[in-house]
Amino acid sequence: MDKRLSPLSRIFLIVMFALLYLPIFYLIFYSFNSGGNMYDFESFTFDWYKELFQDTRLLIIVLNTIVIALLSALISTIIGVLGAMMIYKIRSGRTKNALLSLNNILIVSPDVIIGASFLILFTIAGIQLGFYSVLLSHIAFSIPIVVLMVLPKLSEMSPSLLDAARDLGASRWKVITKVVIPYITPGIFAGFFMALTYSLDDFAVTFFVTGNGFTTLSVEIYSLARQGISLSINALSTIIFLVTMLIVVIYHLITRRGRKSPDLEVLK
Amino acid sequence: MKQLMRLAVVIIAVSAILLVTISRLNASQGYSGGNTLTVYNWGDYIDPAVIDEFEKETGITVVYETFDSNEAMMTKIQQGGTSYDIAVPSEYTIEKMKEEDLLLPIDHSKIPNLKNIDSRFMDLPFDPGNEYSVPYFWGTVGIVYNSKQLGGMTFDSWEDLWDPALKNQIVLIDGAREIIGMGLNSLHYSLNDTDPAHLQEAYDKLVSLKPNVRALLGDENKMLMASGEVSIGITWSGDASEIMAENEDLDYVVPEEGSNLWFDNMVIPKTAKNVDAAHKFINFMLDPKIAAQNTEYVSYSTPNKEALQYMPQEMVNDERFYPSPELTDRLEVYENLGQENLSRYNELFLKFKME
Repeated sequence: MDKRLSPLSRIFLIVMFALLYLPIFYLIFYSFNSGGNMYDFESFTFDWYKELFQDTRLLIIVLNTIVIALLSALISTIIGVLGAMMIYKIRSGRTKNALLSLNNILIVSPDVIIGASFLILFTIAGIQLGFYSVLLSHIAFSIPIVVLMVLPKLSEMSPSLLDAARDLGASRWKVITKVVIPYITPGIFAGFFMALTYSLDDFAVTFFVTGNGFTTLSVEIYSLARQGISLSINALSTIIFLVTMLIVVIYHLITRRGRKSPDLEVLK
Repeated sequence: MKQLMRLAVVIIAVSAILLVTISRLNASQGYSGGNTLTVYNWGDYIDPAVIDEFEKETGITVVYETFDSNEAMMTKIQQGGTSYDIAVPSEYTIEKMKEEDLLLPIDHSKIPNLKNIDSRFMDLPFDPGNEYSVPYFWGTVGIVYNSKQLGGMTFDSWEDLWDPALKNQIVLIDGAREIIGMGLNSLHYSLNDTDPAHLQEAYDKLVSLKPNVRALLGDENKMLMASGEVSIGITWSGDASEIMAENEDLDYVVPEEGSNLWFDNMVIPKTAKNVDAAHKFINFMLDPKIAAQNTEYVSYSTPNKEALQYMPQEMVNDERFYPSPELTDRLEVYENLGQENLSRYNELFLKFKME
């Protein structure tokens, strides 16, 4: 790979990645600062990490955030995959395009508008703001992403594969579970992880639909801004960054394995 | 397919474990009991120990939630779907909330500690008779400056900011009423002046300050001031005391022409479920010892006269944050000027920003 890069593009790559990662490393560096601010490094300390683990309220908020992310990603993946298969099945090009555009509009429409609409919807429907309102809205804004991740995999799949399976006597259910789903698994994973990250860092939508003692991390950190953000938030961000790295590595391993195996699995 | 099913099962299991952990943690904090009080306050605007004490004393468990702007808080309450028992808006928002009929009247007979509040801070134009609100913290708008960087220069009046020697050194807060108000004050007009000619004059005056202005910023200016990057800033007294604690070279002054006096007050929103506990909470917060402890933590100025004796003397005697009555008489509280006048303020401010 390296051999194909000219020195210029290599420099460009390095600069680009430095730009992307420097702020994060800057933040991590100061999470070990005993000085209590972000511009004057005094000495090394783990105090902020200790403080973080003693703050039960913050811990509850972090766990809330993770639960919401996991559950909303799971449910939206299930719904999204089903939706993508439906859209794939539609023969008429016009209807298909219309549905795809509707899906894309949801992705590009501003979060603030989605959030405000949810707030209005929940209030009219009389749903109390809290865990369920946040979960429902996260599921809703993740579905279009999953659909978009799964569809290309479906269209990549050769139609003769399905015909062959049916010719060999596979029932509809078997075709789906033994042929289609294994083929699109990498897409499903991609959709799941995208939904997970979308849910983890969403501020704009969540901001509108939290309430009654239930908040997520993004909303909590934002509300700290008036008083200045404590370095224990840096510590928390460091931990989250490391965990995210770990998840990406795991994801990478899974998809690499997935890429080798689908053809084999199909043959089986 | 199997792989996917396995993943799904793992996720459901993990979520279940997390949910159990959350409810355990909630229970250990007492959040899930029946007798709860939901407080909606600014981020980091109360001493957590005070909340613990309130819970211990009354057996009521407090659910604490935070917001970052008056507008956001008001929208949440307006929309319903929430059940906040206490909120802490600033004075101009209280006026708006009253107009929108979002507040419950406060039963003064349930709050005997109200007598501890300095009479200067009661019965103000935004809430005559304190029918709907009880003062929580107050402060001023003024100049924070780095005397060391400015070679011992001092400021007494707004006029001093126009000194040509201060080229490109001043950071302003990004608020229409604060900045236009500063222009009005420097001309000895009222902060609540709506005379278009006076406003135009104030605008022209502000434009002549432009060479000295480096930027208009929100919360970032606290960090810039504390790190010594910027030597003069216009800001609220609460922010000022916070950054002064970090950087000893800084000083704060309320200009002699007068300035803004602001309040954050406790109110009971219409959506409240536990009105009784809300009254108890307000009364508790007005207890002199509790107010003193809370003030030491938050470091804004307390309106609680009786609390002052429990606070460190160097804090109480600091004229910068507890200005003498002679000065506070010259300070003005923002009045609700009505939509039309506010738009004029905003328009002038926008024009000033674009200049």
